Amino acid sequence: MGQSWIKQEFGQEVAELADLYQAKEVSRRSFLKSLGILGIGATSAATILAACSPGDSTSTTGGGATATTGGSGGGSMEPVSGGTLREGYNRDISKHDPITTNWYDPAFFAIYEAIVSNDPSGATVPQFASDWSVSDDGLTYTFDVPSGKTSHSGGVIDAEAVAEFYRTIQAESFIAGLAAPVDTYEADGDTVVMKMKNAWIGALGPHKTGYWRIVNINTWQELGGTDVESTFGTESADGTGPFTHEEWVPGSHVLVNKWDDYPGSNTPFFENDGPAHLDSIRWTVITEAGQRATQIENGDIDTLIGPAPQDIARLESNSDLTVIRHPEWSGFHLSMNRDYDEFFGDVLTRQGLSHSLDRVGMVNAILAGNGAPTYGPFPTTDRNYDPDVQNFNQFDVDLANQKLDEAGWVAGDDGVRVRDGVRFEFDYLVEDESVQRAVAEAVAQQFSVVGVQANLNVVDRAVAFEQQSGAGRDAAPMSLFFWLWPIPIDVLTLFGGSQFIPVPNFSHAVEPRIDDAIASWQTAADEDQAQAAASEFQLAWAEQLPFLPIMNQNATFVHNNRVHGWQPFVWNLYPYYNDTWIEA
Amino acid sequence: MSQRDAVEERRVSWEQQLVQFEEEQHVPPLRRMLQRMRHNKLLLFGSATGILMLFAGVFGPIISGADYAAQSFQDIHLPPMSDGYLLGSDGLGRDLAIRTFVGIRVSLIVAAGVTSLALVAGVVLGMLAGYYHGWSDRLIGGVVDFVWGFPLILVAVLFAGGLGEGLFPVILAVGLVNTAAIARVVRGEVYTLSEREFIEAAHAGGYSHFRIMWRHILPNILAPAFVLASYYVAVAIIAEAALSFIGLGAQPPLPSLGQMVADGRNFLRQNHWESTIPGIAIVMLVLSVSLIGDGLRDVFDPRLRHEAKGVDEE
Repeated sequence: MGQSWIKQEFGQEVAELADLYQAKEVSRRSFLKSLGILGIGATSAATILAACSPGDSTSTTGGGATATTGGSGGGSMEPVSGGTLREGYNRDISKHDPITTNWYDPAFFAIYEAIVSNDPSGATVPQFASDWSVSDDGLTYTFDVPSGKTSHSGGVIDAEAVAEFYRTIQAESFIAGLAAPVDTYEADGDTVVMKMKNAWIGALGPHKTGYWRIVNINTWQELGGTDVESTFGTESADGTGPFTHEEWVPGSHVLVNKWDDYPGSNTPFFENDGPAHLDSIRWTVITEAGQRATQIENGDIDTLIGPAPQDIARLESNSDLTVIRHPEWSGFHLSMNRDYDEFFGDVLTRQGLSHSLDRVGMVNAILAGNGAPTYGPFPTTDRNYDPDVQNFNQFDVDLANQKLDEAGWVAGDDGVRVRDGVRFEFDYLVEDESVQRAVAEAVAQQFSVVGVQANLNVVDRAVAFEQQSGAGRDAAPMSLFFWLWPIPIDVLTLFGGSQFIPVPNFSHAVEPRIDDAIASWQTAADEDQAQAAASEFQLAWAEQLPFLPIMNQNATFVHNNRVHGWQPFVWNLYPYYNDTWIEA
Repeated sequence: MSQRDAVEERRVSWEQQLVQFEEEQHVPPLRRMLQRMRHNKLLLFGSATGILMLFAGVFGPIISGADYAAQSFQDIHLPPMSDGYLLGSDGLGRDLAIRTFVGIRVSLIVAAGVTSLALVAGVVLGMLAGYYHGWSDRLIGGVVDFVWGFPLILVAVLFAGGLGEGLFPVILAVGLVNTAAIARVVRGEVYTLSEREFIEAAHAGGYSHFRIMWRHILPNILAPAFVLASYYVAVAIIAEAALSFIGLGAQPPLPSLGQMVADGRNFLRQNHWESTIPGIAIVMLVLSVSLIGDGLRDVFDPRLRHEAKGVDEE
């Protein structure tokens, strides 16, 4: 089954168990329980689970990924310098400003560097820093910053510049709450010292993401800082990565060029320790799902992020292409605005709605099986996933009707339920994107089966965010949204935490049990505490339903076999481009 | 009998024969129109297709009795003639036949709404501009030219931005543009008519402006206006499909043909029927309406009839 690394890492028994699970001879729940009996910790179990998606017969490339290659490997070939990598991207592009953007795209991994990053095994490794350490009490993190580093503009990026950048994040970024346990960032000689309010095992997580990628803060301030008129990230950008920002055209493309003065990365898994092989990278926005596969098949692009689910099998059969699939830390969730108390104020109603959803059916129909249903907030492959959430929210129309009956909703003349004179009919916001619209239509129809009328309001991305993020009843009663984040619990604390109302807690949900779990997570000093907090967070979410979880999709990447050194893996959202080159 | 009497008798006889001949030749206008229609094969074909589409749109959903939004995740992307799915199913396992029928109904409703709006408003504005001349002509003509200068899609986006997506803004947007088109033509017709002798006689008779427009001008412009409107029915159907294709028309789960084409394009390699079936429905609708419009123009427009006759005689 290609799981030899499991045998090497965890022994014969675990490898055999993994084979059984992959052959669908044991359930996911039994598999995880058995792993527990064999003494496998939650993190390792999640990694094994990610690598053993049942039904995959493709080879494992590490970190739970599967790669189906049809042709030349080229692994022993010498890298060739030059050329433009043409990459298709499935979303519109965001502003290349880590501090003010509300999403980060693949170009962030070319223009900027994080202080530390994940390697293909999920371990933390240096990136901009040459090394890092944490004190025994877990209250002090020290990052060594090499001397002589500059940004693309030539500005010095020393320890003080990095510390100042992080302090700006703390003060200005809307997402700074993700690293709330961090107290201060100070420079001390050639080191950046991060002091914690309390020991927290998750402290490095946010610092690996696009939002914490290092910017020349002087340039950022000169170009406007947080001012809406700022040109930082649109007309120019100033990072320390191997490529420089050149063109940024929303709805069309992004172009970055090789930075000839790039001093090389400290990241140990990069083979290239100097400037990039490629001359440039051009990301083309392809929001039309069906066009993505066609473009890489036609040779219009060399690499592709996010082909349409229905095209994956065809791409896998193409001998010129390699398809890389692995679990994705993402999810489709439904917000239920609690300020519409008459609809979503009571948990019985929310549970009734949740039981009406056939999540497995939606995964198969909409994602072509390229994903998994979610009964709690996390993807099933997350390292902190607790399978006990599967005790909640299972598809059961009778139970859904029973819950809604108990909540006091009775069928009206036209079949739509009514309670206290209020008809169970509301507006349901969704972004005009093909997969999200399909999910929204499927959900609305399933609601109608149990007597709930959700009227779809399909709008573009910007309008959707605006209408989701209003205060009180200004926000949509219900909205479908998609989140993507390398460490799910971090971003989900923002969605579920009561201090983040109205944004991004679009449900305006105040759940003391979830708030307590968030506090426990952000004070978890070791893996056991972290797992306990994560489990409580998931179970509270699955039971109280601040949002309705629906499903998550797998991440899928495709490259032409002429492209080498382009290796997306499960622990980062996007690939790095330091090692990428194209055969002449 | 004198020669004069003989001549008179022969004249009377000729007149009687002529009257008899005319009586024999006389065909009531309606009957004559139907005769002409019966001999216009394209009109007949268009009418038959149109009736078929009308039947599908009005009675299809009723006869099938199923819900156009009902989904079955076990029956996705089925081709036509699959068990229980006459025209196959889409990505959510919804019956394409029922959705196509409802899509046709939506197209017909939009076309009817747009054409009614455009016909009434276009005729009124065109009459006012063409009859009164002067500042009212300049004002209405300016507004019409202004509207006519905007691309339909842009007008629709503006309306959707102000009123939200859905059928109502589409009807208003397409109706507004079509109103301008009809008003331009009607204004020209009325301008010519208003200088004819019978209108001058009506003025001399002291009739009011309203009476002249209502009783003497309107009946003379109705035929060309209806023929023009039939052309703009086809325009309205295409415009609604185009706007639904880009997400500005009917909102899900209500199906519209343009939206179905758009939804199906992501599955062209798997099951092209999801796009081609609603696409064929659009073609048939537009073709039938266009052929009916052309046929009616042939029947009602004497100049075209004579031109056609001349060509035949040559």
